[in-house]
Amino acid sequence: MTRTYSIEPWVEEPLAAFVAEAGARLALLMTPAGQVIAQHGFTRAVDVMAAAALGAAIVASTGEVAKLLDEPAFSVLNHQGERHGILLGGFDTPQGRMVCLVVYGKESTPGLVQLFFEEFSRDVREACPEPEAPKQVLASDFERELNDSLSALFRT
Amino acid sequence: MSLVNFTTREITCKIVYYGPGRSGKTTNLQYVYDQVPTERRGRMVSLATQSDRTLFFDFLPLELGTISGFTTRFQLYTVPGQVYYNATRKLVLQGADGVVFVADSQARQLDENLASLRNLQANLLEQRVDVRALPLVIQYNKQGLPPELVLPVEELDDAMNFRGVPSFPADALAGNGVFETLRSVSELVLRRLSEEPQK
Amino acid sequence: MSKRFQGILDTITRIRGVRGAMIVVYQDGLVVSDSLMEGVRGNAVAALTSSLAKHVANATSASGAGVLQFLHLQAISGALLAVTAGAEMLVVAIADPSVNVGLVRLELIRAAEALT
Repeated sequence: MTRTYSIEPWVEEPLAAFVAEAGARLALLMTPAGQVIAQHGFTRAVDVMAAAALGAAIVASTGEVAKLLDEPAFSVLNHQGERHGILLGGFDTPQGRMVCLVVYGKESTPGLVQLFFEEFSRDVREACPEPEAPKQVLASDFERELNDSLSALFRT
Repeated sequence: MSLVNFTTREITCKIVYYGPGRSGKTTNLQYVYDQVPTERRGRMVSLATQSDRTLFFDFLPLELGTISGFTTRFQLYTVPGQVYYNATRKLVLQGADGVVFVADSQARQLDENLASLRNLQANLLEQRVDVRALPLVIQYNKQGLPPELVLPVEELDDAMNFRGVPSFPADALAGNGVFETLRSVSELVLRRLSEEPQK
Repeated sequence: MSKRFQGILDTITRIRGVRGAMIVVYQDGLVVSDSLMEGVRGNAVAALTSSLAKHVANATSASGAGVLQFLHLQAISGALLAVTAGAEMLVVAIADPSVNVGLVRLELIRAAEALT
């Protein structure tokens, strides 16, 4: 079974429901800067990041085109290939704007994905809590671990 | 802002390599890509023109390892350096946790470096980012060229590094200085997460 | 073009008890043209009807009945009717439960013929 995985636990339920209803294969919820909030169906974290970066870039650049046309941001973009289609959409939440990339196959349709995407964005908006105040994350002596990690990474 | 997940204990940070055209931003990422074990990096995505100039960005996801119990991932981006791609530069810069400014050490490129640095500041200000608070390191690339073509680091520091941020001489093609630069910006970015937030 | 589509849809919505009619892309479930009473969720009906028609078409094909031509769903508060217009489009009508199904079917077939 493909796993739905989320950084924010409140996203998990709406995302799983959306994927099931829309018949999507992969789904990614992210910030407009391409930081992943939740995902369904990807296996490697690094692949998720690449897809998020590209998805966020498409939304950002079409957003700029919308500005040139004096339009509010496009809510949904759809690209169809032979075997897969992708839908990209953005919506506002109490924690700021979020962007969603959905990959679907022949078993679904753009209309169906778009329909359930509208429901998904509404569910996420309703489930999203107010942002928390920032707090200290790392121990103050993180440098040694960072250096060890980087050395291992670069095999130095 | 770095994305922190306290439930699964993961941190994701976005680092942007900025600088004038042909200063070696993509070369930095390419070197990192070549050096890092496959299981610790993703595919390097390059949105480039037919002549291999960066059109939108290059992107390289890295798994840094575990730091303070958090799985730490970095997303490395480059911006297109050419002046007329400012709109896409702004998009890539959005949400950056740290910036590496890759300067071209050649004496004849000094004006381009300064113009790009000014452009960075203008774009950050436009995005309401506090330029003084954003982790920034400068890399003086192409130090491997003949000495008569390049400016010494001290001179480049005088001209560009008025904030006194960490700076590194580099020859990214050979890999010199690439690692040191990444280490430094990683440290600055993660240090922000180890500090008590300002009330 | 859209005037032509509206003309085709008008022949369906003119029937007493029809709440709306749509031309939908069969494969995509997206609306090409619609004429709907207020409160009818056109996008939702289009997406779900196209998805349903595809499944039903698989069933008719598997059972040896051949290509799907006409779909009629009767529910407590209304009816949904659809006719395929070639492989590309669907003509859909949403109607009251007491609508004259035969008449709607006839106009849907005429509309589909006008489209192909």
